[in-house]
Amino acid sequence: MTNDLIVTLNGVTKRFAGHVAVANLSLAVPGGAVYGLLGPNGAGKTTTIRMIMNIIVPDEGAVILFGDDLGGRHHSASIGYLPEERGLYKKMKVRDTLVFLAEAKGVGRALAARKADQWLDRLGLAEWRLRKVEELSRGMQQKVQFIGTMLHEPKLLILDEPFSGLDPINAQVLKDTIVELSRTGTTVIFSTHQMDVAEKICDHVCIIARGRKVLDGAVSEVKRVHGGTHVAVAFEGDSERAESLIGDRALVAKADDYGVYAELALSDGVEPQQLLERLVASGARLRRFERIEPSLHRIFLDKVGEHQAEPERREALRA
Amino acid sequence: MRKAWAVIRREFLERVRTKWFLISTILGPVFMIALTVLPSLLAARSGRASDVVVLDEGSGALAERLATQLSRGNRFRARVVPTTAGGRAAAVDSLTAEVQARRLDGFLAVSGATLEAGIVEYRGRNVASIRDMALLEDGVRQALLVERLTRRGIDPALVQEAQARIDLRTSRVTRRGATGETGVATFALAYVVGFVLYMAIILYSVNVMRSVLEEKQTRIVEVLVSSMRPFQLMLGKVIGVGSVGLLQFGIWAAAAYAMIHYRGALFSLFGASAAAGRVQFPAVGAAMLLVSIGYFLFGYLLYSAMFAVVGASVNTDSEAQQAQLPVMMLLIASIIMFPAILNEPGGQLSVSMSLIPFSAPIIMPIRFAAAEVPARELAASFAILAATTVVVVWLSARIYRVGILMYGKRPNLRELVRWARQS
Repeated sequence: MTNDLIVTLNGVTKRFAGHVAVANLSLAVPGGAVYGLLGPNGAGKTTTIRMIMNIIVPDEGAVILFGDDLGGRHHSASIGYLPEERGLYKKMKVRDTLVFLAEAKGVGRALAARKADQWLDRLGLAEWRLRKVEELSRGMQQKVQFIGTMLHEPKLLILDEPFSGLDPINAQVLKDTIVELSRTGTTVIFSTHQMDVAEKICDHVCIIARGRKVLDGAVSEVKRVHGGTHVAVAFEGDSERAESLIGDRALVAKADDYGVYAELALSDGVEPQQLLERLVASGARLRRFERIEPSLHRIFLDKVGEHQAEPERREALRA
Repeated sequence: MRKAWAVIRREFLERVRTKWFLISTILGPVFMIALTVLPSLLAARSGRASDVVVLDEGSGALAERLATQLSRGNRFRARVVPTTAGGRAAAVDSLTAEVQARRLDGFLAVSGATLEAGIVEYRGRNVASIRDMALLEDGVRQALLVERLTRRGIDPALVQEAQARIDLRTSRVTRRGATGETGVATFALAYVVGFVLYMAIILYSVNVMRSVLEEKQTRIVEVLVSSMRPFQLMLGKVIGVGSVGLLQFGIWAAAAYAMIHYRGALFSLFGASAAAGRVQFPAVGAAMLLVSIGYFLFGYLLYSAMFAVVGASVNTDSEAQQAQLPVMMLLIASIIMFPAILNEPGGQLSVSMSLIPFSAPIIMPIRFAAAEVPARELAASFAILAATTVVVVWLSARIYRVGILMYGKRPNLRELVRWARQS
């Protein structure tokens, strides 16, 4: 079983002057997974990734890559890494930059040049390959940097906030590429605070907040265990007759009530069947009654909580 | 080592391909040619002598003697204008007006009292010209001397004979005997060697600093140090940039050699073939070249390691400007001492500074060019420099390793020490 785990963190802790950035974090990334590291800003995502990459050393705990603890640099030929803040050599030509990045991973020059051309072509940057990096737009530079992380065909791709700053079209290109790499067996770990993106492409997630793990596991499992039971109800006419039922805390834990439509989180131990029976008995006319899956977004908000999410909002205001 | 090689290659090619490299490589020889050819050209063409007047207020034969003495060289054309005690003020005014109108370069005023007091007044447009004033003073002194001796009854012909010009011919003697080099050529060589070394070390070390800072600012360094050891990265950078320096040196040395070898053709190209024989070129032996290159290499290693630390410990260009000052001062201290070293290449100061590893890379080659350096001193100086370089590079690598991944406040000295100690 352990052989199937590409990355394992065991009780990893990192302190910086005055505060704990990551506290006793354990997680396991299975081979071939698209693994989302989710959390508000300042949660410790980047610190975690840097520890996986062996750029910083944890104060406590162990990082195990490909079954051993030799560290990221030892396995660097098998790992591609996109740091959080973007940048390339401004005065260097696009293709030269890519060849250099591949060479730093031990790829031969000729092969690197060929692969760089292939990828530039594929991501629509072929005509820019002899231009200087500084002539490219930010989005294009980000794509170039992304190409730079995978020219050596890594088994593990670690991307820190890969979607930030990308327009919808380029974000889509990136998503497609990640999904495709995953299909060919590449394990992808990426951090984000955009839950909708994570929802679409991750099969495993780990949510962290303030340096601590909130939950982790396969997305389906996370939804089953942490999501509770949700139903969507639509009424014919008004929902007056059902009002007392929806307000009954023994049945419904939380309700998003829009008058003719409501999304309800059922209280613990309540089956949708029970609610349906009571609704029918109340005489309310139903147009729709459906069990729905909670979104990661919902789970994130519920688990991380309004209080925990606060720093992120302040961050956004400042930006 | 393949990864370090990729870094060396990148640093080298990206620099050699820039316009800056092309321009400075070409400008070097152009500058050299200008430096050797221009003075002879200027000397050959600057013909106009200064027109001066000797205003004579009853000084007897002195004024006439002065005018003759001054006109003897080709710098001055002097004539005497006599005046009286009453007309002196008016004469001075009119001569001043002449000078202002640029019809005259200046005038000297002598009187009967001049012989005793030894005071001569000169007013002119060219008082800032050190050479003209030196010639003028020389002429006045000669004329006064002759006039004073003559008045005491000494035969003017005898005085003239005693005054015969002397010409001190200097020649440098080394252990292998007289070299036939003049003092001026030796001085020039020492000066040029020192200056070129200073420029090269500063230029390329600062380049290393910029390169470190660029990678830190763009966070490429994170990608690189997750693929290779920080020491490999730093060493690759230092070697890559240093190779650019050596290449440029090589080109300049070849140009200098060609220039000296074909100087006849070069001078006739500028229409100054007569000057070619007069211009002295110092003989640059293999030993001189070896010492220069050896000290450049170690000096560059020493300083580029320190500049790499500066680049790794700051976040912005303006911070780098400030942080590089202490390191820069170490180099500047050497260049400030240039004149003192050249005055006494074997003196206490010179010997000490060529042993101190931070000034040795510049001072020792200067000494070597200017005078004989005992082999024992050369060996000691080089050994100390090499040992210091090893220690400094090792220390720098330790600080660099931590610094490149640190952002935020600039570290103080205590924090740098802590970084160096971190395992």
